[in-house]
Parts: sequence; structure tokens; C-alpha cells
Amino acid sequence: MKTPDPREHNTRIEQAGASDESIQDVHAILAREKPEPHEGYSPMPLFVLGFVSAIIFIGAIYIVRHRAGFDPLAYDERYDPSMAATNAAPVKVDPIAEGKKLFMTCAACHQPTGQGVPGVFPPLVKSEWVNGSEDRVIRILLNGLSGPVKVEGNTYNNAMPAFGPGGYGWSDEKISYILTYVRQEWGNTGAPITPEKVAEIRKAVGQRKPWAAEELEAIK
Amino acid sequence: MASGTNLSESLNPATSSEAVKRAELSEIDASTKIPALFFLCSALGWILIGTIFALIASFKMHTPGFLGDAEWLTFGRVRTAHLNAVIYGWASNASFLVIIWLMARLSRSLLRHPILLLTAGVFWNVGVTIGIYGILTGDSTSIEWLEIPPYATPLLFVAYALMGVWAVIMFRFGKSPHIYVSQWYILAALFWFPWIYSVAQIMTIWAPARGTVQALVNWWFAHNVLGLWFTPIGLASVYYFLPKVLGKPIHSYYLSVLGFWSLAIFYNWAGVHHLVGGPVPAWVQTAGIAASIMMLIPVVVTGINHHMTMIGSFNALRYSPTLRFIVFGAVNYTLVSVIGSFMSLRGWAEITHFTQHTIAHAHHGLYAFFTMVMFGAIYYILPRLLLKEWPSAALISVHFWATAVGSLIMVLVLTVGGFHQGLLLNTPKLANTLGLQPGTDPVPFLEVVRVMNKYLVSRSLSGILIFVGHLAFAVNVVWMLLKPRSAEVTAPTLFRNPPEMEVVTR
Ligand code: HEC
Repeated sequence: MKTPDPREHNTRIEQAGASDESIQDVHAILAREKPEPHEGYSPMPLFVLGFVSAIIFIGAIYIVRHRAGFDPLAYDERYDPSMAATNAAPVKVDPIAEGKKLFMTCAACHQPTGQGVPGVFPPLVKSEWVNGSEDRVIRILLNGLSGPVKVEGNTYNNAMPAFGPGGYGWSDEKISYILTYVRQEWGNTGAPITPEKVAEIRKAVGQRKPWAAEELEAIK
Repeated sequence: MASGTNLSESLNPATSSEAVKRAELSEIDASTKIPALFFLCSALGWILIGTIFALIASFKMHTPGFLGDAEWLTFGRVRTAHLNAVIYGWASNASFLVIIWLMARLSRSLLRHPILLLTAGVFWNVGVTIGIYGILTGDSTSIEWLEIPPYATPLLFVAYALMGVWAVIMFRFGKSPHIYVSQWYILAALFWFPWIYSVAQIMTIWAPARGTVQALVNWWFAHNVLGLWFTPIGLASVYYFLPKVLGKPIHSYYLSVLGFWSLAIFYNWAGVHHLVGGPVPAWVQTAGIAASIMMLIPVVVTGINHHMTMIGSFNALRYSPTLRFIVFGAVNYTLVSVIGSFMSLRGWAEITHFTQHTIAHAHHGLYAFFTMVMFGAIYYILPRLLLKEWPSAALISVHFWATAVGSLIMVLVLTVGGFHQGLLLNTPKLANTLGLQPGTDPVPFLEVVRVMNKYLVSRSLSGILIFVGHLAFAVNVVWMLLKPRSAEVTAPTLFRNPPEMEVVTR
């Protein structure tokens, strides 16, 4: 492959100036220069082939092992979508715990104790509305309540805001959690309320003005 | 190129077609003189300014009160000014110098349109000056590697476009039938840089991409400045000067091809490894790390090619300044790249990321590899432009040893320091892995700062050493520019004269 080159092992780097008159116009610095570089054609050593293959192999393994399902939302390279599907149990929510958090909103009026404020905000504790028909209490929450209402023998005449459409816009789940909570806290004995039931009533009544107590009493 | 095929030609270049070629080369060199000197002087100015900024920033790391009252020189500004001065000032100007000279020589044609180049040069340097002034007055864009404020960047872009147009013209009118490997790298770099620069400018500054995509573009760019701009220019120089000084061919054309294309394919993926552990989709990081692993291919292949060329000629390192700088750079190219591949691995990055280790790596690449290669190139080019010899071999020696030792100390100290820092910051985890009781975990942050002090002081010392080297270099260049040309036939300025030099009888 290599042509023998007599200068090969010559340590006269940047060879010393030539004094031939024929190159007087070419300056010494250029005259002593080695020829312009070119490539040799030594064949590629075999081990380079092995090395390249090995690196490609390692790179490929690395990608496969740490690909995290090529999921744009996976930030941990150990994430494996196939395992994730089998491992994940259906998400369990505790309606009482969720409801307790949501109660902060109600507590502003009905008080943290659920006892209300005499003459202004009716109590939720032992209230017949809370413990009674779920069809009524869901309607109160979805659309609100205004005008005179009798609770535990006392009459109130105020307005309760809507938490459904046109009001705070809470989801069926949220409404079911808060109602399940207030129906079971403080010794209340109402049955839990499912999101499905809330959805059913929401569908039936839609958005409307707040209920009056008599209207609700007509409903079972 | 038929060098070495004809014995009489080899023995006496003066009477052969080689002589014609040399006459041609000397004309080509002469035609590059004005633009090449312009870029050389700019580069020289910037490396001095950049080093001063670097020293100020470095002192502040261990002596925070140093110049503490100067608003322009607060750490955030002066560090950024350092980075931009050495990247866009020194390294890019040096690259332009090498590009001009090599392109003209390798395409065997007289330099065309020097006006184009000079305009580009003026635009570039005015742009960088305004940019750095902007940074010092507080106008930095705060996007790493793209801190130059938007009112200066269009100047840089125009300069670059002119440069690219010029190179294409040169290549188009080139007379050389064979495209030498150095030319592949130069031409590719001249396309790659405007591409990455314009995309990064648009996606991070003019019309910023949202969210983490912006960070991705940022690091894709910052990493590619090294990989697709400085690395190709550095390698082009090694590929030219190594065989040139030794007078023997590059070991293998096939290795050159493999090295070039694997770099072209893998490098631009690798930048994401700067975001390992960040809020970027895991698979994108994985792709970046895999690309960093793949970078071992071009690095090792190129390393073998250079090593096989060098083999049998190591003795020459004792004489030739160019060769010594170039070989130092080439060896460090292999080292820094292999270390870089490992640094991208998650387990390693977990410790070293956001520590001084990264700083060590940056200087290893940009200084111990690229800058040293550029010095080597300049030692070869300048005598041919000025037709004078270097005035002082002693100054070259000072330059070499100060920069070589200085940069190695800096890299070593910060690499070790970075590991120390990372391990301390990670202590709860470390204690866990080592099975220790996590007693004093976590180490108070101030304690980590205190421990780092000795490393940072050593870094400043290495910086001073490097600065001394730069001064020696600057004195030598200016001296050379000013000294009169000798009428006699002169001998090259070498570290020591090889024995044969004394009996030149050709
Ligand atoms: C802005 C104050 C206010 C908020 C907040 C409020 N309520 Fe009421 N609530 C009232 C008033 C006032 C009445 C009585 C309405 C009337 O006089 O017609 C009432 C009535 C009720 C009733 C029927 C009467 C009773 O005491 O049993 C229920 C049930 C009820 N609210 C539940 C809730 C729940 C559950 C929440 C939280 C999601 C809530 N309220 C939030 C003011 C409020």
C-alpha cells in the first residue's frame, strides 16, 4: 500500500532551505516545506469493525432499556408502560376524605361545626334536608335554595348559592363527595350519594333559578 | 498528488514539478495575507481580553470581594463576557484564519474576493465588540452561549453568511482534483454553524419556543458550537498539519471517511445530555446519551488515524513547535471526547452535573484541544504569510509549557474538585449507596463552598500560568510583525535544531 518514501524517517522537520538558484523567487520557507498532505490507503484494521459494531450494539441496548415507552410525559427512564398497565390498581378515592376538604367552602356559611348561625344559616347537623331524600338535597346543591325554609323547626329566609351549572360549576364527583360527607358526619345517617345519581338529576333539571322550599317538598 | 513516487523528485524538490507547486503555493499564501492577518490580529486581541475576563471571574469565585464594587464586572457579567470573548472573539476568529488559509491552499487557487472576507471580518468583530459591551452593561439575553444581545447578533449572522458564500466560491473555482479530508470538515462546518446559529436564535430569542423545548434548543446549540463548528475546524487543522509537518501521508483514507460521517451523523443529537435529570421527556435524554456513546466511534477512529500517522515520528515533537501544539491538541481531543461520553451517562451526570466538573470538561475541549491546535496552526501559517521566521524559540517554548501545563492543571483540579463537590451535594444518596449511616447528611451548603475553595484557588493559579503563555505568544507575534524581513535564506525557528540541520547541502 505505502510507497517507500526516502523522507519518511527524516527528522529534518520543515526541511532546511534549498539554495538552488532556479527557485530564487520561491522563498526559503516554502522551499523547505514538505509536500502538501494526502491520504494513505491503509485498509481499515479489523478491530475497528468490531469496535464500531460493539458501540452500535451498546447504543441500541441503551435506547431499548431506557426508552420509557417513548412517552412524552415520562420523565423517569425506568418507567415501563407495560408494567404500568398491570400494576396500576383502579384509582380509589375516599369520598369522605375528599368531601372533608370540600367542606371548607360550605363552612364559610354553615360553620366548621355544621351548626349554622341561628336565624341566618341553617344547620346541616341532624337537618331533615341533609339526611332525607337525596333527590331534594342534590337539587339544593346543584341549583341553590332561596326563600323561607324550615329546618329543625326554625324558619330561615335567606339564599344558598348554586354549586352546579350557572353557579360554582362543580362536577358530579365533587357534589357526590361533599354530600356523602355531610350526610355521614356529626352523627348524620344519610346514605352515600353516587356521582351517577348526581349526573342523572343534573341531566333532568339542567340550569335553573334557585329552588323554593315548597317546590322541593313536592318532590319525593 | 504524486509526492514520494519519484525518487529524484523527493531528493531534490528544487528541480522538480514540486518546485512549480511550491511557487504556486507561495503565490496562494501571499494572496491570503491581508485577510488572514486581519483575523489573526483580531483573534490575538480577543484571547488576551478573554483571558483577563476569565481571571477576574475566577478570582471572584474564591475572593468574592474582588472588584466587588464594579457593576460592570459582577460575576454574572464578567463570566459571560469571558465566554463570549473566547468563543466568538478568539476561537471563531482563529477558525476564520485557518479556514481562509487552508481553503485557499487546498483548493489550489488564489484567494478570490478578499473584500468579501474583510467585510465579513469587520462585521464579525464589530458585532462581537458590541455584544460584549452589551453583556457588560447588563443586556445579556441570559440564554447560555447566546448571551449576545439581539441588537448585535444580526451583524454576526451577516458576517457568517459572507464567509459561507466566499468558501463556496473558493471551492467552486478550486483547481485541486482531489478533495482532501480537511476540506470536508471546513465546508461542513461552514454550513453547520449558520444552521445551528440561526435556528437557535429564532427559537430562543426572536420567537421563543415554549417550555422545555427552549432549553432543548439552547443545549442542542451550545453543544453543537463545539461539535459542529470548533471540532471540525480543529480536526481539519490536525489532518492538514500532522502529515504536512511530518511529510508523510495520513494513515488511512477509509478511517477519515468513517470518522467524518459518524461525527456528522451522531454529534448533533448529543446536546440533550446537558439536560439529563431535567424536566425533559426521558426518551429524549436517552437518545442524547445514546448519541454521546456513539460519539466514541468518530473519536476512536480519528484518534487511530492520527496515531498511526504519528507512529515512528514521535522524535519530531522535540523540534517542531507546530507539531507539538497540534499533537497535544489531538491527544486531548481523544481524551476529552471519551470523558465526555462517560459524563453523559445518567449515573455519572447525577454526581458531576452542575459542578466544576463541567467547567473542567469545557476547558479540556475548547482549550486543551481546540485552542492548542489553533496555536500550532498559527505557528505554521504566520511565517508563510510574512515570509519571516519566528523571532524567539524561547518564547514559543514558554508559550507551550505555560499553556500545556496550565490547561492540564486546570482540567485536573476542576475534574477532581467537581467530583468532590458533587459527592458532597449528593451525600444522603452517597451514604445510602455506601451503606453508611446518613449522619451529618445533608452536608450544609456552606461547608461545600468551603471545601471547594482550594480547588478554585488552584484554578486561578493555572489561569495565571495560561495568561503568561498568552503574553509570550502575543509578544512573539507582535515582534514578528514588526521585525524586518531577512534578505538571506533563513532557517525555521524550532525548539532545538535537529542534528542534520547543520549539514544542509542541498
Ligand atoms: C353563601 C353561604 C352558603 C354556603 C357557602 C353554603 N350554604 Fe347551604 N345554605 C345557605 C343558606 C342561607 C341556606 C338556607 C336557604 C334559605 O333560607 O332558603 C342554606 C341551606 C342549605 C341546605 C338546606 C337546609 C339545611 O340546613 O339542611 C343544605 C343541605 C345546604 N345548605 C348544604 C350546603 C352545602 C353542602 C354547602 C357546601 C357545598 C353549602 N350549603 C354552602 C347558605 C350557604
